[in-house]
Amino acid sequence: MRTYDRDEIVDVVVVGTGAGGAPLLARLAGRGLKVVALEAGPNTDPDGFTNDEVEAPRINWMSERLSGGGDPTAFGTNNSGFGVGGGTLHWGAFTPRPDARDLRLRTESGVGEDWPIDHAELTRYVAEVERTIGVSGPTPYPWDPEREYLEPPVDRNAPADLMAAGCARLGIRATDAPAAILSRDRDQPHFGNRRSSQNLGSIHQGERYGTKATTANTYLPAAVADGAEIRPDSMVHGIELDAQGRVGAVVYRHDGKEYRQRCANLVLAGGGIETPRLLLNTGLANSSGQVGRNFLAHGGVQVWGRFDEQIRGYRGYPSSLISEDFVRPEGVDFAGGYLLQSLGVMPLNYATTVIRGAGLWGAELMNALDAWRYSAGIGINGECLPAENNRLVLSDELDEWGVPRALVTFTAGANENAITEHATATMTRILEAAGALETRVLARTAHTLGTCRMSADPATGVIDAEGRSHDIPNMWISDNSTFPSSLSANPCLTQMALSLRTADLMLR
Amino acid sequence: MTTPAGTIFFLPGLGFGAAAAGPIADALDALAGGRLRVVGIDLPGHDGSPDAPNGSVAALADRAVQVIEAEADGGPFVIAAHSMGGKVTAVVTDRILRGRANVFGLAGLVLLAPSPPTPEPMSEDKRAEMLSWVDDGPISQGHASEFVAQNVAAPLGEAAARAAVEQLRRMSPLAWRRWLTEGSVEDLSSDIGVLDLPVVVLAGEDDDDLGASAQPQLLADVYPRARFVSLASTGHLLPYERAAEVADEIVRLWDATVPTAPQVTPEWGRLIASERTAPEARGFLAHRALADDPDYAPRVLSPEQLSMLRALADRLVPQSGTARVDLAARVDADLALARSDGWRNEGQPANVFAYRLGLDDLSALWPDDTDDQNATAEQNALIEGIISGELNEHQALGGDAWNGTMRQHWFDDLRTDLTRIWLSHPASFARIGYDGFATSGPAFGSVGYNTVAAGLRDPWEPVELGDLA
Ligand SMILES: Cc1cc2nc3c(=O)[nH]c(=O)nc-3n(C[C@H](O)[C@H](O)[C@H](O)COP(=O)(O)OP(=O)(O)OC[C@H]3O[C@@H](n4cnc5c(N)ncnc54)[C@H](O)[C@@H]3O)c2cc1C
Repeated sequence: MRTYDRDEIVDVVVVGTGAGGAPLLARLAGRGLKVVALEAGPNTDPDGFTNDEVEAPRINWMSERLSGGGDPTAFGTNNSGFGVGGGTLHWGAFTPRPDARDLRLRTESGVGEDWPIDHAELTRYVAEVERTIGVSGPTPYPWDPEREYLEPPVDRNAPADLMAAGCARLGIRATDAPAAILSRDRDQPHFGNRRSSQNLGSIHQGERYGTKATTANTYLPAAVADGAEIRPDSMVHGIELDAQGRVGAVVYRHDGKEYRQRCANLVLAGGGIETPRLLLNTGLANSSGQVGRNFLAHGGVQVWGRFDEQIRGYRGYPSSLISEDFVRPEGVDFAGGYLLQSLGVMPLNYATTVIRGAGLWGAELMNALDAWRYSAGIGINGECLPAENNRLVLSDELDEWGVPRALVTFTAGANENAITEHATATMTRILEAAGALETRVLARTAHTLGTCRMSADPATGVIDAEGRSHDIPNMWISDNSTFPSSLSANPCLTQMALSLRTADLMLR
Repeated sequence: MTTPAGTIFFLPGLGFGAAAAGPIADALDALAGGRLRVVGIDLPGHDGSPDAPNGSVAALADRAVQVIEAEADGGPFVIAAHSMGGKVTAVVTDRILRGRANVFGLAGLVLLAPSPPTPEPMSEDKRAEMLSWVDDGPISQGHASEFVAQNVAAPLGEAAARAAVEQLRRMSPLAWRRWLTEGSVEDLSSDIGVLDLPVVVLAGEDDDDLGASAQPQLLADVYPRARFVSLASTGHLLPYERAAEVADEIVRLWDATVPTAPQVTPEWGRLIASERTAPEARGFLAHRALADDPDYAPRVLSPEQLSMLRALADRLVPQSGTARVDLAARVDADLALARSDGWRNEGQPANVFAYRLGLDDLSALWPDDTDDQNATAEQNALIEGIISGELNEHQALGGDAWNGTMRQHWFDDLRTDLTRIWLSHPASFARIGYDGFATSGPAFGSVGYNTVAAGLRDPWEPVELGDLA
């Protein structure tokens, strides 16, 4: 790996190596820029991942965050990446494309926000990401006849079979989910062999065989091959401005010592919590007062059905069936909609959800755990509207790097609750149609979006439509904090596409 | 009480072979009626087995691990080891607990006048004398007899003495020399660190360097859970001098560790032991499978708080039968490591403080006469009230420092922590039908699942998980 002197003014420093940071890093390095990525977490070789749920969180951001509001959102394994690869080390690799209607939600419904981005332009980048990382899926795709997946879909597991049967009985369209899981072995440039799907249900714990795309087995090795330097275990906590109010350097902590890297441009890609935390702590880029506002968490309610047979949904790609029939459901009084995905989950994850989401204890809890192997789930990714009071602020408690911990307040609004209610009814019907003996609803939210949102108007957001700070001309943000609205599609594929787009706009 | 059948692996001392396990095996048979199988191991250069490739303790451990891997059946086992075998056992145990051996089921150790992981104390005169015995090839009848005589408190019976001498005479001079000049002087203590498992150390009062008075100093840091037993009128050759007492202690350790801890069936044990399971994962499972220390001293909580936590654990995550995980002790140990799940509710005290406040508060509210039907009903009402939030208004001990939502939120964390600890035990995995740990092997061949349909399983999966595809 090429290295740069800390006193050298490198072209770009990128903070974070997840879905927002890595594609951009690779693009900029590929065009010959001198780029350095600073990553708070460690670098892990593929065989350093473990699927043991107790120990796997070494790839998650486990430094505590504080959660408040009416519907406190869970962090830790539920919501954070840590290490070279960021959130893509533990993501579920579910890769729906963003729906054009979701990008114009405000125009369509009068609530939420529009994206200041053209859907066709975004889709070109999405297709490029799919090609680069290897996304498998069905062609033709029922909700988008134009779309072509280069890899055939991976196997359906037992929960997918049941959801498919239930949907078929009800006339709901459902098909193999697009997934960033290879269905054929491939030689990934600058990384090496990635194996075809091994039907692993433990991909959220980190995956050793490369069947799942991460930035660590795709964009990052490409970036390094083109001269990028990645510094792991490097936590950025300061940003220095020059006399003109432009970023001149970042300050970070590595091995207990403080370092400073000079740079001509800065890209923040620390994710929906860490980027606003850094900006609030440094007091930068916040003339709009929007940093930390409009925290969005996708609705993630799940319904589980118990069946006669052993389902063992921890086998196989966990969400191998999708339905986009409810992106705009008919006859409803809410804005936006939701995606459905079949669910198989790992045991500790399930236990945690039944405890926190359904209040179980004692014999009833043990029975639920015994019933887990007979259970199949369906979950949603539901639109979340921006709300002024769902926000991230700094608490007065310091973390291990001396930075105030984030306090995130979230309360689901009427629209979110209406979506949850509609989706719960839909999923229950599907499971019952599939023959479930009983069903159970588990509450959950997922993802951390919107806290440094993109806006055409500098008064209502933190970055412009290109990804550049409204206030600081050489500071850019490329991560989930920039989402103006949540979209019904899960965010990671869109994020990687946005990352390439921002890189191209920086290179202009 | 019926105990699951299991295996005792025996690693002999310098000069002795697998046959040295004989008297102990006989004593065990008399005592335990065949429920324990004894497998003696010929370490390299002993009793006719070929010499090791080099003189390191690791090379001796390699052979021991090979035999254990080949002979283990997936069920529980204990390693008993004498003298030199004790040092080898430290290495073997370290490997097993790190998952670096394809075995599963280690329950504890019975060490007999063991050589420690640090350089074995031995006078240079004695070393020189012993080395001189093999200057001209295999040890002579006379020196072998002298060696036995030097190492016993009272003369062995004629048959035992003859057996011991025969084994000594078959030993390779190279192995003898290597142990005295290499293996015994190796310092492995920093590699091995702490081995936190059930251990009993027996030693004779008439042994010198490795005797009863020396052992605690040599081993207490390596084996924090070790119980030291000193045997009067006993020298160094415990397998011959005190076979009955050794057998007694083996059974005692077995009964204290195997029936008290949840066990997996041998089929599950073999799956954990197999190449399909990554070494690291096997190590995690090996640690979790160990019986809890009945004398566990809490590191973060007070003894009263630990008792309260145990009472809560019994209600929140009930375990039936006598084989149990001490969930409360494991929560305390996790708290001491400052493990966190990455978030907490706004205003909630940090984990350790929440546990202390919460347990103190509950002690004041807890109806604790467990024999009383009413008490159980009252406990249920209390638990329900906390979970639902109905009790949030209920005055808490500690006043403002511990208000009602804190209690409710802590209770969510508590239930989650207890459940995750219970569930991550290998026996719980088996109970709920989870074998995903066995999809983490080396990256060739089929590492995951071929069959993912309902009701079906792959050939390598435990039979109760479905029909073959
Ligand atoms: C359990 C789970 C499952 C998911 N499954 C899916 C899915 O199936 N499909 C999907 O589309 N999305 C999924 N997601 C969401 C997806 O992971 C995120 O959308 C995506 O990773 C966000 O990218 P990001 O760049 O914003 O942040 P991240 O990918 O989290 O990357 C941020 C990186 O920045 C580093 N960092 C932060 N602050 C600093 C600092 N100050 N200094 C240095 N480094 C720093 C972090 O350590 C981290 O590595 C899932 C998320 C979770 C939690």
